[in-house]
Amino acid sequence: MIARCATVLLHHCAAALRRPLAGLLAMLAVASAVLLPSAVARAHEATMAVITLREIAPGRFIGQWTMPPVDVTLQPIFPAHCQWNPPELVCGERGLTGRLSFMGLGSKQSVATIRVVPRDGSPVAYTVSAAKPSMMVASEPGTNLAIWADLADTYVNLGIDHILRGIDHLLFVLGLIWIVKGGWRLVKTITAFTVGHSISLAAATFGWVGVPERPLNAAIALSIVFVGVEIVKLQRGEPGLTARYPWIVAFAFGLLHGLGFATALTALGIPQATLPIALLFFNVGVEIGQLMFVMAVLALMWAHRQAQALLPRWGAAIPAYVIGSVASFWFLTRI
Amino acid sequence: MKSQSPNPALVLAGLLAMIPLSPALAHTGTGVQIGLQSGFLHPLTGADHVIAMVAVGLWGAQLGNPAIWVLPITFPLVMAVGGLIGVMGIDLPFVELFIALSGIALGAMVAFNVRPPLWVAATIVGVFAIFHGYAHGKELPDAADAVAFAVGFVVATGMLHLLGILIGVAVRWEAGAKAVRACGAAIGCLGVYFLLGAIGIIE
Amino acid sequence: MTRLVRRAGKAGALALFFALTPGLAHAHLVDTRLGDFYAGALHPLTDFEQVLPWLALAVLAAFQGPRVARWVVLAFPLALAAGGALSLVLPPPPFAPVAGVALVALTGLAVAAQLRLPLAALLVLAVGLGLLDGYQNGAAMVATTDRFLFLSGVTVIGYAFVTLALGCAVAFLAGVGGWRPIALRAAGSWVAAVGIMVLGLHLMSRGVG
Repeated sequence: MIARCATVLLHHCAAALRRPLAGLLAMLAVASAVLLPSAVARAHEATMAVITLREIAPGRFIGQWTMPPVDVTLQPIFPAHCQWNPPELVCGERGLTGRLSFMGLGSKQSVATIRVVPRDGSPVAYTVSAAKPSMMVASEPGTNLAIWADLADTYVNLGIDHILRGIDHLLFVLGLIWIVKGGWRLVKTITAFTVGHSISLAAATFGWVGVPERPLNAAIALSIVFVGVEIVKLQRGEPGLTARYPWIVAFAFGLLHGLGFATALTALGIPQATLPIALLFFNVGVEIGQLMFVMAVLALMWAHRQAQALLPRWGAAIPAYVIGSVASFWFLTRI
Repeated sequence: MKSQSPNPALVLAGLLAMIPLSPALAHTGTGVQIGLQSGFLHPLTGADHVIAMVAVGLWGAQLGNPAIWVLPITFPLVMAVGGLIGVMGIDLPFVELFIALSGIALGAMVAFNVRPPLWVAATIVGVFAIFHGYAHGKELPDAADAVAFAVGFVVATGMLHLLGILIGVAVRWEAGAKAVRACGAAIGCLGVYFLLGAIGIIE
Repeated sequence: MTRLVRRAGKAGALALFFALTPGLAHAHLVDTRLGDFYAGALHPLTDFEQVLPWLALAVLAAFQGPRVARWVVLAFPLALAAGGALSLVLPPPPFAPVAGVALVALTGLAVAAQLRLPLAALLVLAVGLGLLDGYQNGAAMVATTDRFLFLSGVTVIGYAFVTLALGCAVAFLAGVGGWRPIALRAAGSWVAAVGIMVLGLHLMSRGVG
């Protein structure tokens, strides 16, 4: 199927090149794709930093970067009663409780995690992001409601953050909207995509399935190429699989994209105890972000119809070619 | 396709409602916000301004075409001229006095349902608009963010006009017309009170 | 009945759009969580000097009817991008702040007068505004900002904002009632009032300084 898809794309490109104007536009699209990747790659990179604190005596920890920060100015900020003389952290009788935060979170380094390994009990990870720059730490994280609210805040934001930064996921959803147009079919299609990526996100997060990252990303890029080809086919009056059964395609590729979402979560090294709840909140965040994007696209489509600002017939295929070209460029750089 | 698609306006409304306001709120205390707030509250804190502005809307609605649309469009522009005078730091005399007087005049016009030629109406409203704009323009150079301050007081002023016009729509019905005239009478009386305050007879 | 609901929905959407715009404008988030693309997208919305003329431009275009207006959807974002790119190579022109405020007054006055413009004049206005605001946003970037992402954000938000505002304005004007254009003209005169007063302030402070 993948091979067929690629041949179809090449066929379309060749066909486009026979018509000068469309060919020119396709070349422009490829040129823009060549200019895009560096920025896009950076935009979607999980810029994580993880510091692990091991308790060596009651209230005394040794800290070590298990995943050093990209931005050297990034520093953890501990509660006031703790003394931080890297690598030693002394908190005394009260232990490591209070507000944890990071200095220097920003566009370069958006997420940082503090893993605490107590002498007795299982390790706990606290993740802060630029959106949620501090976190309360209590000695008993399992029972405190405020901690759970903190977890919700952190992971919902992380989910929104991840989908809105993930231009490949957004491009795929855009392609689906383009094909399905709107109405109940769109609701069903987006739901199918959601169900699909939720299943595989959970499966990958719990370690039931594992896919190496590079081929996964390449396959995700190819799924976008596929949607681009389907748009062009639909515009030529030959509705493909996506136009006829959009939910099947959405579900199948949803499984693929869910594996991609999981990489953002598994990279954090969340302990098993908090993993289900973190997964739930992360998924909720992803859906919120996805819904925001769908609403924005529908509102813009409505505005375009109102203003009668629609593409002329000769240019109707441009967006599909742009989507397809950008995605095929990603595919080539990712294999 | 149109029949099955969700109402796009509702989609848009939902979308805009979802724009996260928390980051906006997290950054309280910026110049834009302070300017907007103080600008918005400025016209609302002076009762003499408030009643005169509502009277402008009432009178416009009572006069009907073409005043009902000439007034809301030209008022801001005349007000801007007053604002310019204030910005330049020129001292206008008897500001409080003129605002109180225009409150009385506007209230009386509404109460007695006076229908002068448009230019007379425009002049009465214009005098008020200049002094009203002047009072705000004087504050502009000290505002935390001049544009935001101007937007704030312009929005507040516009909403007071709208309030007057919406009340004034009641003139279509007989009882409503009487109620509007009663409002005008009340505004005139308040204007007298502010006039006495402005010339120092009452504290 | 459905038509009525639809119309009410449109009016509501329009009201919400205008009501929330200043709400957004509170946030001056140069450091957002979503990277420099979103920093670029939020930056213009934090500044009334950009939001007001964008709104006025959209309404002015809507007054000309969709056949003329739709070119703004194409020209304005391109000009924004070009202006942003210019900011990378050119030093700031000294007239930029005054020109920005003057455009608030100019676009507001044009809406208040319900000016009939030929396509070329509307495009000149849209391109001029786009170049200037693109330049001003571009100049707000700091050394660590990813220039490509930031300027893409500025361009995308300019496109989305003007397209949505234009769509809302066209839909609003298409409704029944002679008060609709008057309401938009009144809104334009308020924008003009803001522009005139702040322009006076700018010129004054220049004269003194």
